[in-house]
Amino acid sequence: MFQQAIALIIILFFLARLIFLKRKKKVSANEFIFWLIFWFLAGVLVLSIKWLDRFVADLGFSGSGIQILLYVAVVVLFYFNFRLRLKVEKMDKDITKVVRKIALEDK
Amino acid sequence: MKVFCIIPALNEEKTIGQVIARVKPFVDEIVVVDDGSSDSTVEISAKAGATVLEHLINRGQGASLETGNLYALKNGAEIVLHFDADGQFVPEEINDLLKPIIMGEAEVVFGSRFLGRPSNMPFFKKNIIMPIARLVNKVLLNLSLSDPQSGLRVFSRPALEKIRIEQDRMAHASEILYKVSFYKLKIKEVPATVIYTEFGQSFSGGVRIVKDLLLAKFLDN
Repeated sequence: MFQQAIALIIILFFLARLIFLKRKKKVSANEFIFWLIFWFLAGVLVLSIKWLDRFVADLGFSGSGIQILLYVAVVVLFYFNFRLRLKVEKMDKDITKVVRKIALEDK
Repeated sequence: MKVFCIIPALNEEKTIGQVIARVKPFVDEIVVVDDGSSDSTVEISAKAGATVLEHLINRGQGASLETGNLYALKNGAEIVLHFDADGQFVPEEINDLLKPIIMGEAEVVFGSRFLGRPSNMPFFKKNIIMPIARLVNKVLLNLSLSDPQSGLRVFSRPALEKIRIEQDRMAHASEILYKVSFYKLKIKEVPATVIYTEFGQSFSGGVRIVKDLLLAKFLDN
């Protein structure tokens, strides 16, 4: 219960930050919706931790619900990292195009 | 035939002037692609009579070669030679490299460090890295080249028109080989002397090449 309360406070804090940033127009609409869903989902999962424990046990995992959440989080992070790398790589190529165009101009 | 020599350069003020002077008698135009040097590479190259293309910021050797290639194609090159700025290749051997293209025996020529000419290649590179690279080329590209990572290359115009270098950094060497194999271009290897000034690709450099090639698989250009 206590841990759940702490987790919820943290989530509420980030939600408040998100809304604050949105009001100051520092996050785009897409970004805002993504993080809103993200924190909302995190809140729901924290509240349904008992159900999650059962669900995970039914699936045949030996760990508790929170441990499985952690594993899933790591997988998701790896995925985001991968996406980010692709994006950086793409930007890198675009920068080369611009630099090349300038180098070849008037030549 | 109009021969262009592309020399990518990054902070090569100590050697570039001499390299240009020595290469000049063998080609029609020398194109130095300055890759964001902070020294006098640009001024020295221009003074020595080369056409200088300037990358405002560093983009890597592959990107520099491609900038030079596009310039050469645009300006009517019939043969394009890739040469190094640090003086590790011997300009007097250029005619040997151009010959197979002029005679119509090949569309792409690679200078090979393993065909009898003297070389002071470091032991580890010669006996460990190169055999592995050779095996990779054979298995993945079905190319049996004595020198799997040669930076000394010559292209005929029709061949170069097909090969677009998309790897900005060091993975371009493997990319060129891949495309040469993909388009089934006629290859010839010619013995070349290479003078090692430093150890070239480090192990981490090799890892980076593999990483670049893997990432490219996921990118649509």
